[in-house]
Parts: sequence; structure tokens; C-alpha cells
Amino acid sequence: MNPTIAIRMVGADFLKLRKKRGTLIWALVLTLAPLLIFFIVKAVQHSSSPAEHSPAGGIGGYQDALRVLAFFFGPLAGIMIGTDGGAGDLAAGVFRDLVVTGRSRLALFGARIPAAVGLTWLVVLAGYALTLIGTYALSSGTPTPGGALVVNGLLFTLFSTGVICVVAVGFASLTGSRPAALTVLIGWQLIASRILENIESLGSSRELILSQAIAHFSPISLNDGHGPRGGEVVTMSTGAAVAVTLAWIVIFAGLGAWRTRTMDA
Amino acid sequence: MDTGSQQPAIETSGLTKRFGERTALDGIDLQVPRGCAFGFLGPNGAGKTTIIRTLLGLTHATSGSMRLLGHPVPAERAQALQRVGAIVEEPRFHMHLTGRENLRIVAAVRSPETYARIEPALTRVGLAERAGHKVKSYSMGMRQRLGVARCLLADPLLLILDEPTNGLDPGGIQEFREMIRAMVEQEGRTVFISSHLLDEVEKTCDAAAIVDRGKIVTQGAIADLAAGGGARHELILGVDDRDRALALLGTSELVAEARPDDEGIRVVLAGDPQTAAQINAELVRAGVGVTRLEPVRHSLEQRFLQITSRLDADLVPEELKA
Repeated sequence: MNPTIAIRMVGADFLKLRKKRGTLIWALVLTLAPLLIFFIVKAVQHSSSPAEHSPAGGIGGYQDALRVLAFFFGPLAGIMIGTDGGAGDLAAGVFRDLVVTGRSRLALFGARIPAAVGLTWLVVLAGYALTLIGTYALSSGTPTPGGALVVNGLLFTLFSTGVICVVAVGFASLTGSRPAALTVLIGWQLIASRILENIESLGSSRELILSQAIAHFSPISLNDGHGPRGGEVVTMSTGAAVAVTLAWIVIFAGLGAWRTRTMDA
Repeated sequence: MDTGSQQPAIETSGLTKRFGERTALDGIDLQVPRGCAFGFLGPNGAGKTTIIRTLLGLTHATSGSMRLLGHPVPAERAQALQRVGAIVEEPRFHMHLTGRENLRIVAAVRSPETYARIEPALTRVGLAERAGHKVKSYSMGMRQRLGVARCLLADPLLLILDEPTNGLDPGGIQEFREMIRAMVEQEGRTVFISSHLLDEVEKTCDAAAIVDRGKIVTQGAIADLAAGGGARHELILGVDDRDRALALLGTSELVAEARPDDEGIRVVLAGDPQTAAQINAELVRAGVGVTRLEPVRHSLEQRFLQITSRLDADLVPEELKA
């Protein structure tokens, strides 16, 4: 396909998502509000009792905020936007109008992924900017993260949310229903995964859980007891983490593409 | 681009579509010539939307072959659809976007030059001033017009419109009809209209096919269809001596059939309509006073009901299949 057409198709899908005010506003609120609450509460605690409570910012505050953003609310934004990207045309009833242009259905599916990931990243970047503001403005003279950690933290956040968003696009395209995909993915990613990864008797099979594979690439420690996740990270090799992550992407994007190509429009 | 300009706009042969045990299309042989408005008539559930969906590749045919603008589909589906615009069932849009943005989305999927057609298309359907408003604020008629504008982005040689006047008020129907006729007569496009509204098809289309239970029952020019398959011309005669007139008409070579009815004498001509004058002259020469001579206008609706009621009784007339 002509690259100009590919870019325009991605731009068109981005437009559909960007103009979905409800989804975009909620994704921003769910990304920014927890970070704001986190920094405000920590700042109040620190100002009321500096000896008992560490500063809201600094390295400690950055790590906590990154956990909130990269492991919980960033992926939630990715799921919200990804499911809209995957099922939006079907829900609006315009998928058939795109099919009758003669354009390949796989191309129609393919354009959804970069558009959804792009918008998710914009939302997450706003969250990351807030994280950095809180980290440096509220450090109270304590050490702050260096440039390498800031960059690695950003890349990890983009990686984490991007992978989940691709899975969401694929799953929503497979089901054809945004509400169903949204419910299942939120239930799996934010509830079931958390429970399963803490069941030690499951052993190494927990390596198949996407959030665990993603966590392998985190630049910060996840098992220090400060984050939203209380359990230990399942130990796995980098190769296994890459394989599991790729498998989730390939399987769900593949299923979404297959369904888009074969369904009656 | 080779669009096979000498070939019919739509051509199907033995097109069959089954959903499990149910046969939705049963060996459809259809030919839609270029440069005309062609009606595809049938009652609800006859298979009208199914054939459109099959032609456009929205669903797969079980068997048979089809060509759009000379291109075999699905083999050359992409090339065929480059110059086809279609509205399947009611036109649907992203309600949270404006009319113009909805067209931009389709333009992005079509070729790059399509963007230049957005504003002319909006102007063509009379939506230029409302194009910046969200589609959710549009009336049904405006959405239909935006649907046509979306079709025009393809600069279509063939427009396929499924029940296009559904939900339109009488004024909207009139506007729509004029737009279709202009597309055919001034722009040379082919318009394929599926409808169960017989009056609408009769007023808008040059030719039509009648489909029922997945089969084409008859197809041809509207006047021929209404007349009953062939060119059947009828007159109502008012005379001062009915019995004598019937006797004369019964022996005339110009008359295929003459019978009394409530309005006078109904005469089926053996030849073309101009022979009515000769019949009048024969009666007058024989001393029969002619008080009324009126051509019978056949209604497609009458013919449609006649056909479908006969089908209902499982009396499929062989002559209609010709």
C-alpha cells in the first residue's frame, strides 16, 4: 500500500479517537487524577510530619508515581483507547462503508493500532510530565532521579502502555464489542492478573501473565512493598519476557486481524 | 483505468447465497446496463440487501459469478470498487464527528486525490453550510444526503443505493429523485436502487428487476414491466353501440383482444400505440360513435402486486421469467 495512504489512514483513525471526547477525557482523568492525589496526599503528610513521612517527590516519590502510571492507570488508559480503536468502526456501523471502498480489510485493521497507541502515548506522556513535575518540585532537597532513569522510566511507561493498547485493539476487533472487550481486559489486567501472579503454587506458569512479562523490563524495583502491587515479581529470563510479550501481541493482533478480514460487514 | 466501459455496470450469473439451510439468493442472473437508473424491487426479505452486500464483498457468495464495471469480483474487487459508491441499508456515520470529518475518514481510505472531492461533494448534496456540524445533529434526510456525498468521493461510475428514501419526507424524496435523475442524465452515472417503494422506482428508474424469495422474477424497462413483460398497449374505448363495436373490434387485425368492462371497452392493441387512430377511424367508418379513446397507463405497483400475489399462490408464471 502507498505510504501516503497508510499515513492518512492512521491519521483518520487518530481523528476518530481524538474526537471521542468521553473516552479521551476519562483516560486523562484516570491517568492524571491518581498521580495528583498521590502527590497532594504525600505532600500534605510530609508537611505535617516531615520526620515520619518522606517527601512526595525525589527518587522515592518518582518510583511510586511510576508504579501508579506504568502499571495501573497508564494501561487502563491504553485499554480504554485501544478498545475504542478496535471496535469503534463496528459500533458506529461505518465498517462496511470503509470495506466498500475496496481497501484491504487488513489495512483497515492495521491503521487502528498506531492510531490507538499514539493517542494512548499522548495521554501517558501527560501523566509522565506530571510525575516529573511532582518528583522535582516536591523533592524537598532529597535526591532526584538522574537523566538515565528518567529516560528509562519514560521508555518503560510507553512500552507498558503500548503493549496493553495493542492487545486491547486486537481483542476489541475480535469481539466487535467495546463494552465486552473493556470489561474483560480491565478484569483480566487489573484484577485477575494481580491475583494469579500472587498464587505461588502456580509456579513458573505465571510467566505467561502479560503484566509479569512487562514488569521484567521495569527500570525500578517492583517488590519493595511501596507500590500498588504487593506481591513479588515472578522471576523470568529476558528471553522469556520478550517471548511472552510478543506472543500476547501477535496472538491478539492476529486474532483481531483475522476477524476483521473474515467477518460479514 | 480500465473499467470495461462496454460491459454492463452489474452482471451476475447464477449468484447464490445461502445462510445455513436458508437460500437468500437463488441463482440470480442480473444485468444492469450503464448510464441508467435501475430499480431492484422486492418485498421485505426478498433478498435485495443480500445481493447488494454480496456484490460489494460485505459477505461471500455461496456460488455463481459477478462483475462490477467489467471487473470480476471478488478477484478484482479493489479495482471494481474504486469507482463504486454505495449506501448499504441506512447510511451510518461516526456521530461524534462532523459531516466533513466523516468524509475525510473515507477519503483517507480511498485514493489521495479523493480529498479534493470533499467540498464539491458536500456542495453537490446541499450540505456545505452544515458540514462543520456534528452528524448527531443531522436529520435523517441530511444523513441520507451525506451518505450520497460519501459515495461521490469515489467519482462513481456506479452508485448502489439500498432503500435510499427510507425516512425521508415528501420534499426530501422529491429532492432525492431529482438528484438521482441528474446523476444519470447529466453526469452519465449508473444508479442501482434497491427499494420496496414501487411508486418511487417507477418515478426514478429507467429499468428494474423484480426479486422475490431470492429469485429474479422479471426484469426490463419500467414501461414494459408495467405492461406485463412485453410491450402491451391497451385502450379504453367509449362508444354509443357497445355490441356492434365489440363485433367490429373482434375481427380487426389491429386488435389482439377486446372485452367490455365498467368503463367501456378495454382493447389490447396488436401493434404499437399509433394504431389507436386507425381503430378509431375503422369504428367511425362503420358508423359507431366514439365518445372516449384513452390509453391505459399501467402501474408498476399493480404489476408488482399481481406478480407477487401469484408467487404467493405458488403460481410462478413462465412468461414472467422470460
